[in-house]
Order: sequence, then C-alpha cells, then structure tokens
Amino acid sequence: MSLSSLTKPWQPMSYGFLDASAKREIRRKMLKAVAVPGCQMPYASREVPMARGWGTGGLQVSLTLINPKTCVKVIDQGADDSVNAASIRRFLAQVSGAPTTLDTLKANLIQSRHRIPEEKLTAHQTLVLQVPNPEPLRSVQPNMSIARQMHGDADYGRMWLQLYEQIVRSGRVMQGASYPAMVNGRHVMTPSPIPRWDVPKLHMAQHLTILSAGREKRIYAVPPHTRVEPLVFDDVPYRVEDHGDLTCHRSGARGFFMNEIPLPDGSAAHEISDSEYGVKTIRTRDGEAVETGDTWYINGLIEDAT
Amino acid sequence: MTLTLNPPRLVATDALLQISNVSKSYGAVNAVRDVSATVYPGEVLGIVGESGSGKSTLLRMMNLEEIPDSGTYTLDLPEVSGNLFDLDRFARRMLCAKRIGIVYQNPHLGLLMDHTSSGNVAERLLVAGERRFGELRARAQDALAASEFPLERLDDPPRDLSGGMQQRVQLAKAIALEPALLLLDEPTTGLDVSVQALVLDTLKRLQQERQITMVLVSHDLGVIRTLADRVMVMRRGQVVEAGLVDQIFQDPQHPYTQQLVHAKL
Amino acid sequence: MAYVATRGGARAIEQAERLFRTEMGAIDAARVAEIRAAMPYLIDRVMGEASLYDEDIAALALAQTGGDLYEAVLLLRAWRTTQPRLQVAEPVAQDGLFTHRRISAAFKDIPGGQLLGPTLDYSHRLLASEVLTGTPFAPKPVDAAPTPAPATQPSVAAWQAANDLVDLPEPDMTRPDDIPDVTREPVLFPSKRAHTLQSLARADTGGTLALGYAAMRGYGKAHPTVNELRLAEAEVMVKHPKGTEFSAGRVKVSQAEVVSKSGDKLSLGFAATLGWNEVKCISAATLDLNSKGAAKGSATEEEFFLYHTEGVESSGFCIHFKLPHYVTFQSSLDAMRDANAQKAAPQTPDQEPAE
Repeated sequence: MSLSSLTKPWQPMSYGFLDASAKREIRRKMLKAVAVPGCQMPYASREVPMARGWGTGGLQVSLTLINPKTCVKVIDQGADDSVNAASIRRFLAQVSGAPTTLDTLKANLIQSRHRIPEEKLTAHQTLVLQVPNPEPLRSVQPNMSIARQMHGDADYGRMWLQLYEQIVRSGRVMQGASYPAMVNGRHVMTPSPIPRWDVPKLHMAQHLTILSAGREKRIYAVPPHTRVEPLVFDDVPYRVEDHGDLTCHRSGARGFFMNEIPLPDGSAAHEISDSEYGVKTIRTRDGEAVETGDTWYINGLIEDAT
Repeated sequence: MTLTLNPPRLVATDALLQISNVSKSYGAVNAVRDVSATVYPGEVLGIVGESGSGKSTLLRMMNLEEIPDSGTYTLDLPEVSGNLFDLDRFARRMLCAKRIGIVYQNPHLGLLMDHTSSGNVAERLLVAGERRFGELRARAQDALAASEFPLERLDDPPRDLSGGMQQRVQLAKAIALEPALLLLDEPTTGLDVSVQALVLDTLKRLQQERQITMVLVSHDLGVIRTLADRVMVMRRGQVVEAGLVDQIFQDPQHPYTQQLVHAKL
Repeated sequence: MAYVATRGGARAIEQAERLFRTEMGAIDAARVAEIRAAMPYLIDRVMGEASLYDEDIAALALAQTGGDLYEAVLLLRAWRTTQPRLQVAEPVAQDGLFTHRRISAAFKDIPGGQLLGPTLDYSHRLLASEVLTGTPFAPKPVDAAPTPAPATQPSVAAWQAANDLVDLPEPDMTRPDDIPDVTREPVLFPSKRAHTLQSLARADTGGTLALGYAAMRGYGKAHPTVNELRLAEAEVMVKHPKGTEFSAGRVKVSQAEVVSKSGDKLSLGFAATLGWNEVKCISAATLDLNSKGAAKGSATEEEFFLYHTEGVESSGFCIHFKLPHYVTFQSSLDAMRDANAQKAAPQTPDQEPAE
C-alpha cells in the first residue's frame, strides 16, 4: 500500500470547486429545507474563493446544483453586468464548464442578489437567492439561540408588534426590502433583501427558490406551489413600491420595478431594474425578433396567484 | 376608610386556582417549602411577607415562570387540565399569554420601554392572534382607559412615563385579554404614597367592576387590606397563617403575624 | 444599442484587479521565501487564523494579497476547503510539548521552571533607524545557558489539581475522527467544547483582543491571572496505513491558561492556536474564562464572542457594504416618501392609516 493508492491523482480542486462531502451536506440541507418550507437549516458553509457577504451562500448552492449542462444566469440588483454578478458568473463558468446566459427564459439556474426577474419563472428553473441575514427575528431578537426557539414556538408576536409600531409612528409599514413573509402558514422567513415588489412572485410560484446565507450558515427554501404571505394586518393591505406608473427612460418599459437615476438638474429619471428585460424591450422596439416571456406584473399590477 | 358591604364572594363553587404542596430550593436555600393555596373565582388572595419569604417565587410559579421541585398547580379552565407544571414550554407560554395577566413591581420586566404604550398592550392581543390593526388599536385604548391611563399619552413610550403611569400600562396589558387570573407583584411598591393610593383605587374599581380573580403579593399590609379578601402570611418559604383579611387583622394567631399587624398599627 | 454598450461589469472588475496587482509586480519563489524568513510571527498569525499550517503557503498568500491580512486569511481558508482530509493526528498533551517558552504569572517558580524563551517583552522599543542609512541591524548571538532547560514540562494546572485548588475538566475520550469539526458543521449554541476551542483558535487576533480586553478592563466578571503561557512545538503523530505510528513533523503552537478565583476553587480559561501568538491566546483564554454564566448579549457570552471574532465572516460582511445596494435603498425611499406625503396631507387625529 502506498500513499498514492489512497488518494486520487492531484487536482487543484474538485469539479464545481466544492468537494463531495460539502456538496452532500448541502444537498441534504436543501432537501430538508424543501421539506419544511421557510425553516432555516444550519449548514457548515465552506469557505469559498469569495469574501463572506458577497454571495458565498448562494454560490455554494449553485456550485452544488450545477452540472456542465446547466445554463446559468447571475444577477445583482437586477443587472447581469453588475460587477459582483459578473464575478460570480465567471467563477461558476470556470469551475463547472456550464454555459451562461443573460436571458431569464434560457436559464435553468438563476443566482440573484436582491431581485427576482420580471419574467415569470417556470417549473424547470431554480432561483438561488443570496441572503445576508437569514433571521427575520434579528431586529427583535439578536440572539440566534433564542430566535431559533421563537421559530419553534411560532412566537411571532414581536414581529407583528413591529408592524404595529411602524403604522402608529409613521402612518404606514416602513419595512423597505426584506419584507418578512409567512411561508406555508408556519415559518416566518425573510425573503432576502428583495424589494416588496418581488415578494408576491414567490407566492404559489412554479419554480423552486433556495435561499442561502453563507456567512450566517443557513439554508431555507420556498418549494413550488407554496404559500408565501407577507405579514400584514387584515385591514392594512400589503403595498409594493409605487413603481407601477413609472416608465424606463431607456427602454420605454412601464409597470416594473425601477432604479431611480438622479439627474444634474435636480430631477430624476427611471430605468428598469431587470436589465435584461430592458434590453429585450429595446430590441423588440427596434424590430428584432426577441422572445419575451410572460411577466408577473401586467400594467404595473400583479395577478393573484391563488 | 369607610366600610362598604360587598356581596359575599366566597360562594360555594369550585376553586379557580389550586396550588398544592409546592417546594423549591436554590442550592441550599429553600425558597418555598410545602406551600398550598386555593383561590376562588372573583376573589382576591393577598400574600404578605418580608423579602425572602418566598411570596414572589410563589407568584412566579403561578405565572409558570418558575417550576417548583415538587408540587402541583391546576387552574379550572376549559382548555387545560392536570398539573400545569407538567406543560411543555409552548403550552405554558400560550396559557400565560391568553389567560394570565401579571403586573411586576419592576416595570422593566413587564414592558418594552422603547415601544409605544399602546403597542405594549397590543402585543398581548397580537400573541393571542388578533390581526386587525383597527381592532388592536381600539382594544388597546379600551384597556388603557380602563386602567385610567391618560389617552393623550397613548403612543408615548413607557421610558418617558412616570412610575405610576408605567404601572397603569402594565395593568392595561394584563387586563387587555380579560384574563382568568391577574397576578400583582408589589404593584405599588416604590411609588409615591399619593400615586400609590390612586393606582390602588384603580385596581379596586377594576376588581369590583369586572370581578377579576387576583393574587396580590405585597410586603405592605395596607395594600393587602385595601384589596384582598383573604390573606396568606408567608415567612421563610412557609405559610404561617391564612384566613379572611378581617380575621387576620383583628385576631392574628401566629407570633410573626402579630408582630406584622402591630408594627403596622 | 446604447443600453447594451453601457455593460462593462466584467471588464471593469478585470482591470481593477490588474491595477491592484501592478503595484506588487511579479511574485516569485524568492519573494515568498523572503517573506517566510523575515516575518515568522506574521506567518504564524495568518496560519492560526486560517487554521492551516504551512509556512510556504501562508507566505505565498501574504505575497499575493500584498499583506492585506484579511484577504490572506480568506485566500488560505478557501484553499483549505479544497484539500482532502487524510488523517486526524493524535492529540497532544501539555507535558508532551517541546517547549520554547513557558511562563507563569501565578507563582514565582513552578515545577519545570520558568522558561523565558524568545520574546520582545523586555526589549526597548527603539526603531533601528540606522538600517535606513545603510548600517545593518544584526542581532548579537545568544549565549547558551549553563544547563539546558528540559524539553518538556508538566502543566501548572496539574500541580494545582493535585493540591485541590482547581478541578480539571474530565478528559475527553472522543476518538480523533469523531471530534466535532467547526469547518464541517455549523456551530449551534450552547456550543460544543470542541467548536468553541476551534473557533477561538481560528479567531481574528484583533477582534479577540478587543473583546478580551473589554473583559479584562472590567466588563467581564473574572480577572485573569496567567497560569501558564506556552510557545511550543507539537509533534504531529499520525498512523501509517500499515499501523506504524510516526511523526509527520512538528508544528508551532501556543497556548494560554488563565485562572481566577471562583468560590472555593480556581476556574480555568483556556485557548490554543497554531503558530505563536501570545496576545490572541491570552485574550481568547480570558473570554473562555468569563463565558460561564455570562449574560445574553454581553461581550463575554460565547455566542457573542464566537460570532464576532470570526475574521473571515466579519471582514467579509464589512466590505460587502461596498456592493451596490440601490434596490434595497430604493425600496426604503419609497416607504419614506409615502410616509412623508401622508404626514403632509391633512388628517383627522383618530383616522386609520390611509392604506
């Protein structure tokens, strides 16, 4: 027996960077997460060649799911060409040989930070959301051990109280992004810092969403056809951002989530946040034959998934 | 104090609360030794004793915050049966949230100091499942009004309120759900004498109007005499004497009680 | 297509990285060797925080990151992730360590003796500015001691235990392969002892010092006395597949044991790390000493200090705030503007919110 018979030929790294034991653990935790929607599953979270807080949780899930035939799309703030999205896309392609795309319709695996594309995702697609802070209770209970117990007890009174306090003090719910939502009627989750605009897209969706926090070492999931209900009082309806009437100054698209671009004259222009959808709109306008999918929002309004 | 004739509350009925033979020690210290107590619906039981007598430990047991080493606790409520000390953490929490109200001597234990006063009251309703903002607000207001809290300060945080006002917020929170049992742990201790009298008036009025079953812990015989129907005298973790308030005050039997009553008079 | 032309993310990040690396120029083996020879304590610190013992690779990481310690540690940790795990070495005991330096502040003399070893503790911190003008700063040779110190010494705590001053922890008989591994499973609280010690061994030196110092200054309940501080080398004993046990080499390790009076006995705080790093071990041991019964949310609570001294996580999260956040910012602006508009509009006092 020699040392070489005990090890495989040296390679700088495994396929998809992570070794088999790391992938196996993540697969198991994803299965658990799917089995108990919205419940946070602790995982080891390996160190990867990117800084913590830069999508290492999403990256580990993508690296586990990826194979050479997976078509990958990566977005940050809705844009494919955002610097960190470009970096993650390049890394995924490099370690897996998987093709990449900017087109939401062509992607099998979409890793995203802070946005869900405007085109509807379907059953053959998986959305991986990068999560900075997986704990919706953090603002009312910073201690993770106590927060875990509160989830166990479905003890969400403080979350509701926070909403009450905001309405009393400011006249409305002031939560911006990361709007807490009840999943499958049992676990409150943070949908990651997606805008309120995007939370209804998770409700009874056709696609699987995996949410992963690398630094905080938690994975949770919204399986297809699962209820995702933002926490709201019965008599104070949920409100998405008032973007339904805004028009993109580049593409002319209207009724989608917009970026506000301050202009030197003190005014502001708007451009569509889902950059690739903007590109499709421009191409269509210019007479190109571009395939555009159905969108969740139509004329700035979302259809009721239930 | 003028004597008013109240209708007798101790009618033949089942006890609401029954604590039997509870004991609890912390290391070598026996905080409570073999104590039993019974409270009937609508009555006020006073527990008096010096600090370290075990009276607050006993009250915390009634609020299921403290589990004794031995003994049983039952409440005559449709949703529970058996020894409440055997309930799991979740069931205990739900029972306390829905059926038991408590006012602590230290308002920091009972209140979120940086939230609004109305929010502090609303939290109890939220825990019990109320999901209508309008209803939360209205019921929080009602409870605060019943506690004689000035409604123009509805949304001020308790940290900005005086001690007496803080106790009224605690009281409003405690009664917001019409609790089956209201526990008062030295509710007026530390307040100015004049404020103390006003808070006691509120408690007395609430008790008379709503016939709330109360257990009142105090080291102050005056407070006990004002509110309680029956009294239990505790010393070193044990009950040394129990009976109707008038009887104990007029004719104390145990030397310790005699000492207490005479010191007061 | 003007819209597409503005895309430049991929090119921008490529050029930004080149700009950074241009400063340092080409890295060759000679530079790595020079760093390794010149900066053993920096190498030790980085190896400890990376929980990866290889001086050459640590020196390479420092060369490649231009000395940005957080980047160097991240680089090493990410490389460590990819490495196969061949074997778990046998545990080492204090009295088996090949000791270079070992001091106790608790007693004037101790069995085995105080052993000062290499240290700058009593040096005068004067800058050798003559080096810059061409005069090398050469150390004087060490005079050998008349009698060499023994290579190994018993632990101070063992003497204290024999005198009934301290209760030593029960020996942990877990098989090496079954020891919980903080890099293979998440830490949950209350944490396993192995997780605590491993996390402290990997902790950021500066962060551990900050929280440890807070505890020493009075935010902790227990005031530490350094029972024993050791800089040593540990034999890495592994088993050949044929059954022979052999040493695969030695690694530098440091460990600190601090004590304080607790009731009628002394209580112990312990920390150890790869490489020689005294400040970290004393700070970490002080945190360990103070963690028993610490209030939730206090700096000496285990959950608090383990989460917040994890250097790769904390530094990564800190720099992530440089990433664009304009979607979340837009979402908050929307709520704020609407709330302000509502306040500006006339409203009757008891009106329900206009939602």
